[in-house]
Amino acid sequence: MAVPGRHERQHHIAVAEGEVGRYVLLPGDPGRCELIAAFFDDARLVARNREYETWTGTLDGVVVSVTSTGIGCPSASIAVEELVRAGADTFIRVGTSGAMQPHIQPGDIGIIHGAIRDEGTTRHYLPIEFPAVADIDVTRALAEGAKISGRPVHVGVAQSKDSFYGQHEPGRMPIAGELQRRWQAWMAGGAICSEMEAAGIFIVASCLGVRAGGIMLIMGHHDQAPMTEEETERGSMADFLPAAIEGLRTLIESDRRRGDR
Amino acid sequence: MTDDLQYHVQLRAGDVGRYVLLPGDPGRCEVIARHFTDPVKIASHREYETWTGTLDGERVSVTSTGIGCPSAAIAVEELIKVGADTFIRVGTSGSIQADTAPGSLSIVTAAIRDEGTSSHYLPIEFPALADPSVVDALTTAARALGVTWQRGVSQSKDSFYGEVEPDRMPLAEVLHERWAAWTLGGAICSEMEASTIFTIAAIHRVRAGGVMFTAGPGVDFESSKEPLLRVASDALRVLIRNDRAGMTWP
Repeated sequence: MAVPGRHERQHHIAVAEGEVGRYVLLPGDPGRCELIAAFFDDARLVARNREYETWTGTLDGVVVSVTSTGIGCPSASIAVEELVRAGADTFIRVGTSGAMQPHIQPGDIGIIHGAIRDEGTTRHYLPIEFPAVADIDVTRALAEGAKISGRPVHVGVAQSKDSFYGQHEPGRMPIAGELQRRWQAWMAGGAICSEMEAAGIFIVASCLGVRAGGIMLIMGHHDQAPMTEEETERGSMADFLPAAIEGLRTLIESDRRRGDR
Repeated sequence: MTDDLQYHVQLRAGDVGRYVLLPGDPGRCEVIARHFTDPVKIASHREYETWTGTLDGERVSVTSTGIGCPSAAIAVEELIKVGADTFIRVGTSGSIQADTAPGSLSIVTAAIRDEGTSSHYLPIEFPALADPSVVDALTTAARALGVTWQRGVSQSKDSFYGEVEPDRMPLAEVLHERWAAWTLGGAICSEMEASTIFTIAAIHRVRAGGVMFTAGPGVDFESSKEPLLRVASDALRVLIRNDRAGMTWP
């Protein structure tokens, strides 16, 4: 199968060059794209195909987009590959994650500057020893922007896993012992939260020479204890999104100041 | 912290500041310590030599790690036991990208775990990351000095000759293929200690970073060390200032 060129509609995301800005927010869930696009000026739906939905608008006069990645690194890597072909060069993963440290509470914000490659996709790109690392300028802007939330902001490593239920119900998996030992190791290494796409986004970004970072709403407890009603409320996506948008604004402003590209 | 004399570095609590520069070569400690005020040689044992002085009134140290992650891991473990919590690896490196100028400085943001030591600490999937506050301090220092610098990922390898003379190794093809992968991944420099220093720092919740001088034809450490050592010591000053102000990154 021929891979579409820049000017054609990309095979999976169905976006063509010029239909997205250089800045793209990347939620997992297509159902969250419209909610995020509501923060843009003049937002319009650009494309919708499979798990990929894309909206484009402006923020402080700069063209920005949001594209859902679907769940997991296989679909997230496709989204980033095709978005770069369509003209994007700066990616911000935005989504929910599970807490991995006792001092991190539901509703806190995680800024991820690196990811554990606990998934299969990135091995198709680079040997496993290569670090999945976020761009420091993106990370700094997100951490600064998140301050407006008034919530605790944690900068650290995310676990990017391939199996949601392997994390949430490890005890019932045939490799339960291994899953539990590795989870303990990630916590000992200081990982702050668990999600499913960051490593793929960071590694593909490194290979394509573009920037990426991530801002996560933290849900759940490090020991997976059930959340109270109040904690669930604190985990509202709508209340968290202004922090992510402020991070993007901060990045746009710092790029402008630096006269970057 | 412990008052016990540390087995390999021969240091005890109070011998070093919380800020420590980490060259590989013990022969470089004295010249690095000249960037401190009132430097004193504290210990010298095996490949580990330590000097302590002050910068802006704050105690700072330099300890050599020896070559490679096995000895660097020991240095960092023992330095943390005697009170250090901020590390900057400082040394020479080979370039990976064709456009990296010899003599330029590489500020390391993360490292490829192309070595055996860090796997004794964390599964290989875990990223070896520099602390962003250290990366930013090094960037601020390099910008102020007006030197040529780049920022990115370092390859931390276990075999020097596997990198510089891959063709004579039984694993030549694998070495070449992996080197090509690091290049395509955007790695900027090759050295031998950063990944383990970063991994151990993560486990102990302390800060680490690195700045590397790019060796090349006609450019070696001796002839061009001053900008490297200025950036490393100025970065410590930035961290000291921010720490005194109680600032948390960013």
